[in-house]
Amino acid sequence: MVAGDIVLTGLMAVLLVGVAALLTRVENWRSYTPLAGGGAVTGDETAVINREKPAGIIRWLTTVDHKDIGLLYGVYAVIAFAVGGIMAMLIRLQLVTPAGAILGNNAYNSILTSHGITMLFLFGTPIIAAFANYFIPLLIGADDMAFPRINAIAFWILPPAALLIWAGFFLAPVTENMIEPARTAWTMYTPLSVEQQNPGVDLMLLGLHLSGIGATMGAINFIATIFTERDGEVNWANLDIFSWTILTQSALILFAFPLLGSAIVMLLLDRNLSTTFFAVEGGGPLLWQHLFWFFGHPEVYILVLPPMGLVSLILPKFSGRKLFGFKFVVYSTLAIGVLSFGVWAHHMFSTGMDPRLRASFMAVSLAIAIPSAVKTFNWITTMWNGRLRLTTPMLFCIGFVSNFIIGGVTGVFLASIPVDMILHDTYYVVGHFHYIVMGAIGFAAFAGIYYWFPVFTGRMYQRTLGKAHFWFSMVGTNITFFAMLALGYLGMPRRYATYQFDGAIAPLTQVATFHQLATVGALILFIGQLFFVWNIVQSWLEGPKVEDGDPWNLEDDGMLDREFQWFEEQLEADSPEKDPSLLADGGQEEQDDS
Amino acid sequence: MAEEPGLSDQYPTASPWPLFVALGLALSEIGVFVGLFPVAVFGLILFGGSIAGILTESGYVERPWPTLLGVGVVLIVIAAAFALWQVPVTDIALSNVGTGPLFTRLVAVAAAGAVMIAMGGVASVMEQTAA
Repeated sequence: MVAGDIVLTGLMAVLLVGVAALLTRVENWRSYTPLAGGGAVTGDETAVINREKPAGIIRWLTTVDHKDIGLLYGVYAVIAFAVGGIMAMLIRLQLVTPAGAILGNNAYNSILTSHGITMLFLFGTPIIAAFANYFIPLLIGADDMAFPRINAIAFWILPPAALLIWAGFFLAPVTENMIEPARTAWTMYTPLSVEQQNPGVDLMLLGLHLSGIGATMGAINFIATIFTERDGEVNWANLDIFSWTILTQSALILFAFPLLGSAIVMLLLDRNLSTTFFAVEGGGPLLWQHLFWFFGHPEVYILVLPPMGLVSLILPKFSGRKLFGFKFVVYSTLAIGVLSFGVWAHHMFSTGMDPRLRASFMAVSLAIAIPSAVKTFNWITTMWNGRLRLTTPMLFCIGFVSNFIIGGVTGVFLASIPVDMILHDTYYVVGHFHYIVMGAIGFAAFAGIYYWFPVFTGRMYQRTLGKAHFWFSMVGTNITFFAMLALGYLGMPRRYATYQFDGAIAPLTQVATFHQLATVGALILFIGQLFFVWNIVQSWLEGPKVEDGDPWNLEDDGMLDREFQWFEEQLEADSPEKDPSLLADGGQEEQDDS
Repeated sequence: MAEEPGLSDQYPTASPWPLFVALGLALSEIGVFVGLFPVAVFGLILFGGSIAGILTESGYVERPWPTLLGVGVVLIVIAAAFALWQVPVTDIALSNVGTGPLFTRLVAVAAAGAVMIAMGGVASVMEQTAA
C-alpha cells in the first residue's frame, strides 16, 4: 500500500512537472488576445495577433474555436458510437441461442450496462453538442460561443469521463478482477448499485458525474450564446428552429443534470462513507428511482429535441417548402420541455407506488403525445405536395419521421398503466425506446452529418454509399426493433443474458426465432454503419472539393440559411481572385504586365 | 479551406488552460472519492492552478497568485468545516491519517490547499520583491 502510494505520488509529480513545462512553452506563443468577457479586460484589445492557431496536435488540444470544438465533439461521439455499437452487437450475438452464445452472465451484464451509458451519455449528448457547437454560432450570426474557454473545458471533461465509465474493462485484467466493469444497468437502481462492492461502479459513477458537469457547462454556454450573441438581424421571431430546440434542451439540461450529479454523489456517499440516503432506514431505495427518473425522463427529451430541430431544419430544404406551422413547432418544443418534468414516474408504474399518483403521471404522459404529434403532422404536411428531393439527408429525415411514429405510438401504449403493468419488464419497452434512440435520434444525427458535410469538410460525400447507409440502417433498425416489440408481446423479459425458461412463461421457439431475427437486423444495421464510416473517412480525405457555396441548391427556394452563406464567404475568401474586395488590406491584385 | 478564415479570427482561438482545468477536475474527483491520497492532492493542485491560470489569461484577474492562494484557503476551510462537523474532535490528529475514510480524504484536501497557499504566497512575495 505504501509502495503503491509512493509510485502514485511519483507519477502525479511527473505529470504536474510535465504540465508546468508544457504550459511555460505554450504560454510563450501568446498568439491570442485576452477575451473581452465580463468587461474586466486588462489586456490590450488591439494587440496584434501573430498567429491564429498553433499547428498540429497542440492546435486541437488548445483550441477554443467553436468549430474546432464541434469537430472534436463529433469525432468523440462517433468513436463512442462505434464502441457502443460493438457492445450492442455482442449483446445481439449472445442472444442468438437461448443458452447464450458468446458471453458469461457477468460479462453480459457489464456490456449491457456500458452499452446504455455509452450510447446515451457518450454518443447522444456529445453528437448533439457537436452540431450545436459548430452551427449555432453560424446560424445566429455570432462570432463564437459566449464563453469559448468554458466550451473547451466542457469538451475536455468528456474523455476522462469516458475512460472512467469504461475503466472496469481496462482494469479487470490488470487488477485480477479486483476492479470490474459496473453491472448496475444504466439506471443504477438501488439497492443493487449500493451493494455491489466492485470499485468499478465508483469509477463509472464518477465518469457519469463528470459528463454531467460537462453537459451543464455546455448548456449554460448555449443559453448565454443564443440570448446575447445573436446578430442584430436575428431576433426571436426569425430564430431558426434548431437554435430553438437547443435553447429548450439547454434549459432542460440546466434543471436535470445537476440533479443527476447530486443523486450520484449521494449514491457514492452511500457506497463509500456509509451514509443512508438510499438505505431502508434512510430515504429508502425508491428515492433513487424518483431522483434518477426526475433526471432520466427529461434526459429523453434532452436527447430527442435537438434531433427534432435538425429534422425540422433539414426536411423543408428538400421539400421545396418552408416548415409548415413553424410557430407551432416552436410551441410544441417548449410544451414538451415543460411537460417532460411531469412524467418521470411512468417509469415506475410497477413499483407499487400510490395508485392516485400513478394516474396523474399517466395523464401527463399521455398529454405529451399531443405536442409530439403536432410536430409529426407538421413534418408530414411540410412534405405534402412538396417538391421532394430524396438526397441522403432527406432520406434520413423521412426515416426519422417514420421511426418516430412507431416509437412514439408504442410509447403512448406504455403510458397507459394497465398496458405498462403487462409490458413493463419485457422487450416491448426495449423495442419502443430503441425506435426513438436509434431510429429517430441516430437517424437525425446522420441527416445532420450528411447535410452539413460540405460545410465542415469542404468536400462532398459519396452519394451511393450514403444511400446504401440509409437503406441498410432503415431496414436493419426496423427488423431489429420490430422483432423486439414482438418479443415483448410474447412475454420475453428484458435484461436477461439467457432465456432457457419454462415454456409456460413464454413460447420458447417463437422467442428464439424473434431473437434471431433481431440479431439479423442488427447485423444489417452494423454493415450499414461500415458504409458510413468508410464514406465519411474517404470522402473527408479524397472527396471532390465543393466549389459552390450552395451545394444543395437552396437559394432557388429562398432557403439558404446563414451557415451556408458563411460557407460561401469562406470559399470566396479562399480564392480572392473571385472577389478583389476580399484581398487583405493593402493587398493588390497581381498586375499582368504582358 | 483556409486554416481559419472565419469571423473568430479577431478572437482568441487557442488557450492551454481548458484541458488542464478538465484534467485537474477529473483527477480531483477520482482522488477524493476513490480515496487515492496522492491523486487527490495533485489533482486539486492542478485544478486550482489551472483556475488561476485561466482567470488570468481571460483577464478576469491581473495576477494568478492571489487566486491560487484563495482557492487554497477555500479548500482548507471546506476540509476543516467537514472535519469539525463529521469527525470526532479526539480523532483529529496527524497519527490518524490513513485510518478513517473521511478524515484521510479531508487531510488530502487540506494538504492540497496548504500547498496552494504556500505556492501562491511565495510567488506573490517573489513577484513583489522582483518588481
